[in-house]
Amino acid sequence: MALPSRILRPFHLPSHLRTIPTCARLYHSYDHPPAPPYAPAEQAILSAAITHIPEHGFTQTSLSRGAQDAGYLPVSTNLFPSGVFDLVLFYLVQRRLGLGDAIATEGLDRVWEERKVGVGGRVRGLVLDRLRMNARFGVVGRWQEALAIMAQPSYIPASTTELWRLSDEIWFLAGDTSVDTSWYTKRASLSAIYAAAEVFQTQDSSAEFRDTERFLDERLGDLRKVGGTVGAVGEWVGYTASSAVNVLRSKGVRI
Amino acid sequence: MTAARIVTRASPRSLLASPSSIVSRPVQSKSFLSTNGRNTASAAVAISPHEPEYEASQHSNSDKAPCRPTPLSAEQRRFLDSALRVNQAGELAATLIYTAQTPQLVQSHPQLRTLMKHMYDQEAGHLKIFNELLAKHRIRPTVLYPVWKVAARTLGWTTAVMGREAAMACTEAVETEIGDHYNNQVRVLLNWARDLEARGETVSEEMRELLVTLRRIRDEELEHLDHAVENDAKQAKPYEILTNVIRGGCRTAIWISERV
Repeated sequence: MALPSRILRPFHLPSHLRTIPTCARLYHSYDHPPAPPYAPAEQAILSAAITHIPEHGFTQTSLSRGAQDAGYLPVSTNLFPSGVFDLVLFYLVQRRLGLGDAIATEGLDRVWEERKVGVGGRVRGLVLDRLRMNARFGVVGRWQEALAIMAQPSYIPASTTELWRLSDEIWFLAGDTSVDTSWYTKRASLSAIYAAAEVFQTQDSSAEFRDTERFLDERLGDLRKVGGTVGAVGEWVGYTASSAVNVLRSKGVRI
Repeated sequence: MTAARIVTRASPRSLLASPSSIVSRPVQSKSFLSTNGRNTASAAVAISPHEPEYEASQHSNSDKAPCRPTPLSAEQRRFLDSALRVNQAGELAATLIYTAQTPQLVQSHPQLRTLMKHMYDQEAGHLKIFNELLAKHRIRPTVLYPVWKVAARTLGWTTAVMGREAAMACTEAVETEIGDHYNNQVRVLLNWARDLEARGETVSEEMRELLVTLRRIRDEELEHLDHAVENDAKQAKPYEILTNVIRGGCRTAIWISERV
């Protein structure tokens, strides 16, 4: 028992995340809302550090400046055992949670209702919202640094988990209620599309990231085509099989 | 043990009228509990007679200003997560078993048409409830969803080919396991409610509704068990092997679905 946990030790997740298994998003309670993910001091330092990212990037400098801004000694960045990765993760978590808040404050779900936007359209809108946040917080120019940090072997599990959570959040907020195998395929494909779009965005110099938007639409279009084909094939196989069984039954075969 | 269970079972009809809310009709919910003790002879289901106490004191607490409820612990969330996932997989399998059995059974025994439809409709209702709960509480479905689909269809088809008694024995075996499984969940939720009460907190609407739902579904599953026995499940040949294999399979499927 001790050995596997020793091997898994290299992931230095922040203290509050260590109690949560990395891949599962557990039962979400409405009457017992979960505690906020970050302790007040961590929240204060990291939020302040984010304002320094456009200038200093995802670096220890941003963290130290953040600590100073929040009224702590620069050395209190010791709170974060994974250093800059904690800053990256904090940014990702805050922006993910921000998606839901944006819907609530802007009354986006009412707009969706009125304009009869389907789940697909909502997903597209949410992905774009999330990508625009990168621009709004001025991290687009620095995002490749963050990607490099996330790609470090010991941070990959936490990074991919966070990507999965974002994807889950988007499907949930878009009002998708499928709970069969497509639950997995939807999240996996959206994760891939989002990650690709985000990388594309770092290279995009068009006004208001028009190219990124077009790139995203093409990828979502591909997904719809593949999904439609797979669905149609499945339907055809099911229909043919059940007709065959019914024909045999009508002939008196006991199956 | 199964035999004892069947013989001592109270008439399920009285349980079908489930109270819309525990709070409004605490007396009825009490009768829920007492039948619980009788349903299953297993010692594991020994529930103390004063379980619904928390419901009574609910009234006095309700006029106090609501305070922020304690978040569920990671362990509690994990329990609900795997419990509801298993329930969904189980109800999915149940609907598919009945779907696969019905055409053949009805062909040779037309009098079973209404019973099969009744049982199927109830299972489909349960599946809908759990699908909604999973989506609402953001619980992932089991990874082996397609596997259970194939397995359930095969089980239903095979037992129906073996005849009416075998099909009913299949229902009996499955519902026995499922009844136990739901009982375990009800017991855990009641323990949580008691802990909350002991700390002077109110039991949330969410938990109370879940408890009512689980009890109602459990009673309907056990009703199917009765129907199966009434329809000569015990005459299936080979009864012992068949039911034991199916029950073992159910337990394994539950164990796996709790995890993946």
